Amino acid sequence: MSYQALLTKAVNGNIPFSVLLELTYRCNLDCYYCYNDRTNGGRSLSVAQYVSLFADLRELATMNLTFSGGEPLAHPHFFTLGARARALGFVIRVKSNGHRLNGRLARRLLNEVDPFVVEISLHGASAATHERQTQVAGSFGRLLTNLEQMQALGLRVQLNSTLTAWNETEMEAMSALAERIALPLRWNVQITPRDNGDRAPLDIAASPQAISRLRGLLEQRRGTETTIDLDPPPPWGKYCGAGASGLTVDPWGNVYPCVQWRVPAGNLHRENVRDIWERSPVLQSVRVRTEALAATVKARTAEATKEWFCPALVETGGGEERLL
Amino acid sequence: MPANSLSFRLCADVRYRQIADEGIVLRQQAGEVLVLNEVGTRVVALLDEGLAPPGIVARLAAEFDADPGRLAIDVAGFVAELRAAGVIEEEACS
Repeated sequence: MSYQALLTKAVNGNIPFSVLLELTYRCNLDCYYCYNDRTNGGRSLSVAQYVSLFADLRELATMNLTFSGGEPLAHPHFFTLGARARALGFVIRVKSNGHRLNGRLARRLLNEVDPFVVEISLHGASAATHERQTQVAGSFGRLLTNLEQMQALGLRVQLNSTLTAWNETEMEAMSALAERIALPLRWNVQITPRDNGDRAPLDIAASPQAISRLRGLLEQRRGTETTIDLDPPPPWGKYCGAGASGLTVDPWGNVYPCVQWRVPAGNLHRENVRDIWERSPVLQSVRVRTEALAATVKARTAEATKEWFCPALVETGGGEERLL
Repeated sequence: MPANSLSFRLCADVRYRQIADEGIVLRQQAGEVLVLNEVGTRVVALLDEGLAPPGIVARLAAEFDADPGRLAIDVAGFVAELRAAGVIEEEACS
């Protein structure tokens, strides 16, 4: 059996293979298009609750654990949690802005957490463009220095870039930068509303022409490590893995079907993740929805199904159901 | 020392999980994924628990109602494959 077949089994069999933890919404940068609702509040999960969650997830066969935020390294117990997750054999991914990951902290990350990959956000190929997004002067130069130090330590690093109206003129330079420093670059073209419903970030969505140009650029760079999140859906029984092979947990213990599908399926202050996974009506309805969507898409023409879209954004009203 | 009496442990960069009746092993440093069948996954889990091959054979014989002689041969072969693939390493004697 192949890895893809195993993933299919996880999606079709409702096995939470990948879980994303938004540890904190604190951040040392201030990205304009950040989707976090920083006015949202609640009682943070304690270290003991996270440890209990990890044990439950291990029993549920979760393999990938992504630490996200905000900036996950801003969580006061990040290293305690990371080390615990490592001890329980999770494949750990860290989504970071890289601002604090200088040599000392990067070494600590490697030694104590040993992540499979650190995903770092790159917003431009120049300080002016990158820092227009981060709203922190000096963050571009500091990021390049930190990337160099992470690579020297042997950390596996991937760059993530979202195409925006602000950086679309630099897409070639950003790809060239990634190649020059020998890091894979993953493009995303989807800007989403903030979790509080604020649609302001959509004002800087990339133009259709820029998205088309990026496709051309990636075609030219086929075979390099520059890729885009627009692949057609795999032949699963569900359109995506939301609430089927994955979950997202926010800092207050709210459990969501995925990072985009912000409809709470339960809260870890009141129930454990196994009960939520097995009994939540929200998760059950999401699985029904994505199963129906997979069947609908399968019945459409190849032209209509060649491009991926996010059903959560359709469902929550923030996107366009352009392919259906 | 005969290979059968050695103890092994998972290499530090190895992660694994059982997904339904199959298993997945990731070698982090190489970025390589192995997909194992149910028995293979069980062997990895028992190695991770610290069992040496004879103990693994005894456990599998009980769990799968299989012939211990045949299992001993299969486990020895599989352990050698895991070792060659960099999934396990010989545990240092104390």
